[in-house]
Amino acid sequence: MTAVDHGTPQESAHAPDPWAPRPRGFLMRPGFARAAWCTGLFFLIGMYIVVSIRWLAGWDPVYDWNIITPVGALTTAPIGFLLGIGAFDYWLYWISGRPTRPEDHSGHGARTWKDYFKVNTDHKVIGVQYLATTFVFFVLGGLMAMLFRAELARPGMQFVDTQTFNGLVSVHAALMIFVFIIPAFAGLANFAVPLMLGAPDMAFPRLNALSYWLLPIAGLMFLASFLAPGGAFATGWTSYAPLASEQPIGQIFFNMGVQWAGASSILTALNFLVTIITMRAPGMTFWRMPLLVWANFTTSLLVVIATPFIAGSQFFVMFDRILHTSFFTADNGGYVLGYQHIFWFYSHPAVYIMILPGFGIISEIVSVMSRKPIFGYRLMAISLLGILVLGFSVWAHHMFVAGMADWLRVPMMISTLLIAVPTGVKVFSWLATMWEGRIRLNTPMLFALGFISMFVIGGLSGIYLASVPIDIHASDTYFIVAHIHYVLFGGSVLTIFAGIYYWFPKMTGRMYNERLGKLHFWLTFTSFNLTFFPMHWVGLVGMPRRVADYADRFANLNLFVTIASFALGASVVVFFYNVIVSWARGPIAESNPWRAMTLEWQVSSPPPVFNFDEIPQVVGGPYEYGVPGARHAILSGGAVPQEART
Amino acid sequence: MRRGAIVRMAGIGIVVGILVTLVAVLIPWLPTSASEEMDRIEFVFWFATVICIGIFALVASVIIYSVLTFRSPPEDESDGPSIHGHTGLEVAWTVVPAVLVVAIGVLSAVVLSQNGNAGPNPLPVKVFALQFAWRFEYPEQNGLKSGELVLPVGRSVRFEMQSADVIHSFWIPEMGQKQDLVPGITTRVVVTPKREGTFRLVCTELCGLGHATMRAPVRVLSQAKFDAWVKQQQAGAGAGDKGAATFAAAGCGGCHTFTPAGTNGKIGPSLDNVAADAKKAGEDVRAYVKESIVDPNKVIAQGYSAGVMPRSYGQSLSAEEIDALVQYLAGSTQ
Ligand code: HEM
Ligand SMILES: [Cu+2]
Repeated sequence: MTAVDHGTPQESAHAPDPWAPRPRGFLMRPGFARAAWCTGLFFLIGMYIVVSIRWLAGWDPVYDWNIITPVGALTTAPIGFLLGIGAFDYWLYWISGRPTRPEDHSGHGARTWKDYFKVNTDHKVIGVQYLATTFVFFVLGGLMAMLFRAELARPGMQFVDTQTFNGLVSVHAALMIFVFIIPAFAGLANFAVPLMLGAPDMAFPRLNALSYWLLPIAGLMFLASFLAPGGAFATGWTSYAPLASEQPIGQIFFNMGVQWAGASSILTALNFLVTIITMRAPGMTFWRMPLLVWANFTTSLLVVIATPFIAGSQFFVMFDRILHTSFFTADNGGYVLGYQHIFWFYSHPAVYIMILPGFGIISEIVSVMSRKPIFGYRLMAISLLGILVLGFSVWAHHMFVAGMADWLRVPMMISTLLIAVPTGVKVFSWLATMWEGRIRLNTPMLFALGFISMFVIGGLSGIYLASVPIDIHASDTYFIVAHIHYVLFGGSVLTIFAGIYYWFPKMTGRMYNERLGKLHFWLTFTSFNLTFFPMHWVGLVGMPRRVADYADRFANLNLFVTIASFALGASVVVFFYNVIVSWARGPIAESNPWRAMTLEWQVSSPPPVFNFDEIPQVVGGPYEYGVPGARHAILSGGAVPQEART
Repeated sequence: MRRGAIVRMAGIGIVVGILVTLVAVLIPWLPTSASEEMDRIEFVFWFATVICIGIFALVASVIIYSVLTFRSPPEDESDGPSIHGHTGLEVAWTVVPAVLVVAIGVLSAVVLSQNGNAGPNPLPVKVFALQFAWRFEYPEQNGLKSGELVLPVGRSVRFEMQSADVIHSFWIPEMGQKQDLVPGITTRVVVTPKREGTFRLVCTELCGLGHATMRAPVRVLSQAKFDAWVKQQQAGAGAGDKGAATFAAAGCGGCHTFTPAGTNGKIGPSLDNVAADAKKAGEDVRAYVKESIVDPNKVIAQGYSAGVMPRSYGQSLSAEEIDALVQYLAGSTQ
């Protein structure tokens, strides 16, 4: 169902409107004021439910905060927030039989900056909302990393105690993974995918808005755990049972935060799947879709299939704590390793959820900036699908030392090693795309090249880890920390930066500063390597990961890493300065500064509220650079060359 | 592709390859091996490294060469040649990496099975982990218990491992082998020490507050010295200084400083001051010590938090052992 038409908002503003909502007071209008009191009210409702059940059953104590927190604070209060902010208004009107209008565009598109702080159904606004929110969490997660790196500058304990240290490490990772990398990609895709498909919006714009508003809930939950008695959750982002079921109460902020972030991911993924399957412009066959669309298609499949598993694992850990079940405890017949199997059945695919959209971004940029068709387009798409399928058959490579059944190790090693093949195909195809091109070494392209080289290092360290005997030595050491940062920072984060620079003119209508962009790249690239490369070494010679203190012989390397990590943190300042100043005062951008063929560049910058004044007709592939007379699509106004009609 | 291009690219590739090789050989990436298993791990490591250096040099040289050769100024509006693909190349870069990774896989599988093989006459050692200490038991040496891991050189050791509370992980970096200890199941790992020396056993699975310092000393001795150590321990335990033996065997020193035992752990309060702490709590020293062992969360010393010390000593130690410990701690400090 497409819930939008092509009427302009001004039309509805002038005509007498029988459905116009009655004016409502400050506290009753959707927005932050209503969200505030609804959150409080729903917290009380949740608390009331718990307390009255306990009172009726005669349980002592009646006010048990171990139960009130997960029910009231972490379940019902967020629902109140969503209700207050207005994420459910339309549906509630419809359910209760009050007048609704499918073409109500009052919450669509941003006219002032204030519209970015409201429930908005425009995928372009939502994309920006996602990016702004995720970057807030990125900064907070980064500051935490600098704090615990400061602690690690010297052996012994300096600034924080060990539980706080473990908490900082865990919240850092949870923020980066669940509310930065995964949703930042969702934000970029939200902005770009409907435009690239020639669609006016996503298939379910109101669901799209809801998916976005679930996200700050998850992030705030992770942060709020610091206020819980006993401190933040401190069991790493993997949160292994049974440790997780006996930690202080901050742990359930992780268990529940993951649920909200996961719900957000699943809803967005369903939305992408339906959008990509049903809303492609006429002529846009699957084999004419840009690779970014392909990448988000496969990612969405991964999300939809895998995410329910982490949701289950976290619920069960929480039940072990508050309901005294024994899913993952050794007594009463529970199965401790079951947690890890279920967790990694999500979290291994999740590492591809965190990189495939980046592959898509890089494919766009490398082709456009090299002025050449992407090399082996079909094999590029097929290798995405290959990764998707293989990605579900390798989860136990995270458990080579976990004590699982011995026979599983060799098959899991082989499938893990084989995943390197489609991954390699992608890397080689990017290289071949550049070959004999007309390479423009601007900021997006620099980040793309930085990504390819860093990701190759991360992939190669992955080969070491896939080899069981080596992994037995390297598992749970700083070598793992190095590997995951080469693939997630050198990989995913560099692609996010590349994508933001690439679409910045389209999103904001203004151009970023090229020199600052390049400065940002070189600072990040250098300090990234100085920070993370030595970690391979310190891990292999004996330093475990997630330790607040370490043996004196690792002191020099750790001090070096800490200093480099501060430089890495500082490099982000250049990025924020560039983005903020350019958004406010940068030079006006052309509609197609990169001379790209994909559809988002064929409309104005920023695009019209409903993207296309007329539905585009797709007539060819998206990367036909250098092919004389080739066109990807025909838009009204543009003359249609006869020979392009293929 | 012209000949000149190939030559120049190969040149870049060789330079990159040499640089990366230097990084690989000049940095001592792995600790000096102390076990036969680690020797084999090193072999796989270097096998993979040779392949990885090749792949990295290839990728880096293509990137560097392309950026140097194909870079064009912004005013240049021309496009590159419209190459859409090349079946031969695509087949090559699918098949060649597949062959390489399968080679790594086969070698790894062989080494894995060798490293799991304890041979005909392994020394059995039981390992118990608890938050945040290690304990060892030698079934063949009349169930000798120790808080220090002492092993004879040149004989395979077969560890049988159990955890009392959460997941821990057993790793001696110089010996390579690593294995989690999982509550509810017994896990096994084989290590064959090949040189004498002192090492460190570390916990590599985040297990709570004291994880970072959950370590235990490891000594590898000649068979003769090992036998002597066993004798001495057994004599010590029989000769009445049961408190000191229990203190060592239960791993108390991992967290506590206690001068008579020569330990200097920093996670828990120093036991040298136990008399003063008891006074502060307003209790008799013996009662205080006993209570702290059996129910550690009841009184928490200033500056430390609850939940750090294992709560399981009340069960895992016998009543005699606890009495001996009380005697040892209270007696030595009065
Ligand atoms: C050639 C490709 C890759 C291979 C062969 C590979 C292999 C592995 C293996 C075997 C482990 C487990 C190590 C251990 O726990 O002992 C691991 C850990 C990890 N990998 Fe990869 N990997 C590859 C690519 C990636 C990518 C693309 C990502 C993410 C974008 C990624 C993210 C991670 C993360 C986050 C962990 C650590 C999980 C944790 O314990 O916290 N890897 N990798
Ligand atoms: Cu994985």
